[in-house]
Amino acid sequence: MALVRLEGVGKTFRGKGGSWEAVRDFSLALEEGEFCCLLGTSGCGKTTVLNMLAGFEPVTAGRILLDGQPVAGPGADRGVVFQGHDSLYDWLNALDNIAFGLRLAGMGKRARREKAGHFLRLVGLAGQEGKHPAELSGGMKQRIQIARALAADPRMLLMDEPFGALDAMTRAALQGELSRIWAETKKTVLFITHDIEEAVALATRVGVMTRGPGGTLKAVVPVDLPFPRERTSDGFMAVFRQVHALIHAEIHPQ
Amino acid sequence: MKDRLATLGGFAVGFALLFVVWHLAAVYLVHSVLFPPPAPVFWRGLDLIEDGILQEQVVASLRRILQGFLLGSAAGIPLGLAIGSFRPVRVLLEPWTEFFRFIPAVAMITVAVIWFGIGEESKVFLIAYTTIFVIIISTAAGVGAVAKDKLRAAQCLGANRWQLFSLVALPATLPFILTGMRLAMANSFVTIVAAELVASNDGLGKMLWDARLFMQVEDIFVALVTLGLLGFATDRAFRLAIRAFAGRFNPTM
Repeated sequence: MALVRLEGVGKTFRGKGGSWEAVRDFSLALEEGEFCCLLGTSGCGKTTVLNMLAGFEPVTAGRILLDGQPVAGPGADRGVVFQGHDSLYDWLNALDNIAFGLRLAGMGKRARREKAGHFLRLVGLAGQEGKHPAELSGGMKQRIQIARALAADPRMLLMDEPFGALDAMTRAALQGELSRIWAETKKTVLFITHDIEEAVALATRVGVMTRGPGGTLKAVVPVDLPFPRERTSDGFMAVFRQVHALIHAEIHPQ
Repeated sequence: MKDRLATLGGFAVGFALLFVVWHLAAVYLVHSVLFPPPAPVFWRGLDLIEDGILQEQVVASLRRILQGFLLGSAAGIPLGLAIGSFRPVRVLLEPWTEFFRFIPAVAMITVAVIWFGIGEESKVFLIAYTTIFVIIISTAAGVGAVAKDKLRAAQCLGANRWQLFSLVALPATLPFILTGMRLAMANSFVTIVAAELVASNDGLGKMLWDARLFMQVEDIFVALVTLGLLGFATDRAFRLAIRAFAGRFNPTM
């Protein structure tokens, strides 16, 4: 059975200027342990899909099932990595940021610091535990976010363009590390991006969305390439071209 | 450490310059018994300290400030948190804060004296009054400025409502609260002098008033310089406290 089912999900926002449809009739099933990238142009509604699955926004049509249960609000079973680093706690050091979920769960100080230390090393931040977010680079902050989400041991990770604000080299390095971490932890991941190369480098499946407003799932492209992925290989290029053609039709409609 | 020494040196030179300008203005520009140069004021200040009179006034004023300030903060912080957190509370209380903060504490001196007499209570009331609205507004603004993703991240890590408040919203608001307290402290100095000028048995404001009555110009200047130095020292202490609390994670403070 699929871990997550989105069935005919839709979202219509109502505001002062009337209502507008962000997502329309979106259906997708996520299997346990897969890494699914959701790819789309800006404004297509991909972040709205993530927000609904995270429980930040209620659906206005269809339903979302996690383990067969409808999603009602945010919960510790779905860890979220946000695009910006506003979500980190400035007053806590790296280790205590990572341990935050464990603290909420009532774990003692020594135990949670020990466990957080494990995830700190997993994301390659050994030696940085005492630093505060203001003292860390953008890439390091995103590593902390990933470690913080993983430390709470969620059923799945939801990542909203987590590397979007980073420079190209840092981004490529973090993509490689995320692949390694995913292979080690076997977490189910839904990863939002507008970067085709990023999607093909990370995903076991790439979901391509139609352009917004009112975007929906256009196609799902499986990526059967071994890890670590060689970006200049023929196989990588072939999938890239296939996904590119799907997206291109959305950027330049007839 | 080197930076700190440079800062202290800068302050010393700045103060010295202030006294030099004062001296030059008094000796070469004004030539009046109504504007004494720094030296006689300094000696008069020493006399007043030797007699224990100046300390008495300083302690009287500072005690009132501290009592009123703590009372105003103790009431203002929770009110600000409630206004910032709950929309119904904000709608209900915003008319209060927006109404009273435009009635300056100086204008409330008359009713304070009618209600509480010229003793300690009226001063403490006025300082609390001048403190509370500044702190309410900055605290409420701080709650409103907590990044949405900070709260969402905590929800995804399993936070309940109380944990969201105590472990996320409150620490995120702390720098705003401290900044509000710093502004309120400056207001307190203004208010205490005005209140003691009008109705008091002691304090720096009373000292100013008496000195004017008996034309003791040096005493007036001793009181003025004391106020300036006290205010400067208090504000530095506050900035150090803010830095110790908040600066380590917010380098802009």
